[in-house]
Amino acid sequence: MGKIEAKNIEKFFEHDGKPLKALGGVNLTVGDGEFVCIVGPSGCGKSTFLRILAGLEKPDGGEVMLDGKKLGDTGPERIMVFQEGALFPWLTVIDNVEYGLKVSGIPQKERNEISKRYLDMMQLTQFANSYTYQLSTGMKQRVAIARALVMDPDVLLMDEPFAALDSQTRDLLLVEMQLIWQKTQKTIIFVTHNVPEATVLGSRVAVFSARPSIIKKVIDIDYKRPRVAEDENLSVYEKEILSSLRHQGPK
Amino acid sequence: MKANIFGKKIAFYIAIIIVWQAVDSADIWPDNIFPSPIDVGEDLLYGISDGSLFYGIGTSMWRLIIGLAIAICGGMVLGIFMARVETVNQTIGSLVLGLQSIPSVAWVPLAILWFGLTDSGIIFVTAIGAIFAVTINTYTGVKNIDPSYIEAARNMGAKGTKLITTVLIPAAFPYMITGFKQGWAFAWRGVIGAELLFSFLGLGFLLNVGRQLNDVSQVIAMMLVIMGIGIVIDGFVFKRLEDKVMSRWGLR
Repeated sequence: MGKIEAKNIEKFFEHDGKPLKALGGVNLTVGDGEFVCIVGPSGCGKSTFLRILAGLEKPDGGEVMLDGKKLGDTGPERIMVFQEGALFPWLTVIDNVEYGLKVSGIPQKERNEISKRYLDMMQLTQFANSYTYQLSTGMKQRVAIARALVMDPDVLLMDEPFAALDSQTRDLLLVEMQLIWQKTQKTIIFVTHNVPEATVLGSRVAVFSARPSIIKKVIDIDYKRPRVAEDENLSVYEKEILSSLRHQGPK
Repeated sequence: MKANIFGKKIAFYIAIIIVWQAVDSADIWPDNIFPSPIDVGEDLLYGISDGSLFYGIGTSMWRLIIGLAIAICGGMVLGIFMARVETVNQTIGSLVLGLQSIPSVAWVPLAILWFGLTDSGIIFVTAIGAIFAVTINTYTGVKNIDPSYIEAARNMGAKGTKLITTVLIPAAFPYMITGFKQGWAFAWRGVIGAELLFSFLGLGFLLNVGRQLNDVSQVIAMMLVIMGIGIVIDGFVFKRLEDKVMSRWGLR
């Protein structure tokens, strides 16, 4: 199960010695198996919000619940995929993918089987013994996704994972990401500043306002999958997201 | 290309020996002050044939290895604590910087008082001379770890010693190698300096015996041996280790 609820999340940062309110009471409920994208102007705190969901940062107000239970410190039931992948350069691809299983004490044989399955799913089998510096940015993100999936988390939290990719690689991964979601039925919360990306991926798209951020609007995207970025029917949704992003100015 | 560089080196050293021999033949200084390369070579051969040279090298090396091992273990622990616990850094960290400025031979009197004229005293000097270089480089390495590595590891359940052994140490390893290399250089100076003053076996002792016997060619022979070991360990052990780590970590 993976129903995640964020209730009235507040976060302050220090700026020039004064507290600056970054998150002004964010409420978001993401149902089990749902794919929700978060978009917002840069610096609005959407990544901070995601980090709070992951337990990597503590909110100054409000709470995060998973299936009705209050969450604290970071844990393997909700795994983060970082913008730059955060792969360990001293490990091979397969050792990176196995890392979380190894830490949790799964025996070698078992973790090897699990890792191989996900390497196969992400089309990485032939790179299993490569080091990460030998891979392209797109390949690295595939490894990062595989490393998150082997943990079999209830919730997958993705922080602009495709931001550094060229558009061809990104288009490919956008389709794959939808297939992975359909196959694994994970709850996914995906932060991006790229509106077409959010439209292709999200079943719902939550639009953050400028600081102090709240969720301004949630747009349902009820459209067949797998979606592709060039599908013109999606532009209706894109326009709706863009206009709600635009009409916000400083509050 | 590589053969060319090697050729240049050989030619350079042969030239030094020729000039040295020429200066000696000019008879400017008496032989008991300025020996010929042949005298020095004879002394080396003598040391090799009666085994005293190997015994000296062996003694100095095992003291070095134990001292350096202590310095590496202690320095890593201290460096990691300093990088991860701010209070430790603010307190012990400032002391480490101060202690590092003490030349290792300056520890010798204290070592003699504490340990007497023993191996332990020499090892103490060796270790204390090297430990702070390892500490500071480990500290810098851990401080420079990409925070997302640590977050990703914590997120996947790595905590405490598991986090240290599986992420902090490997991520900081390229810096730590630099610390080991500096540490070895300090340890080598420390062990020779301590042996000179302790006058208790080892290459430093042989150097001192040369001085006491007024045998200048033995003094120079021992200095050449000390230099030679330095070149070998630097070039073969540490350079190779460094190259391996750098390429494995994708830094080169």
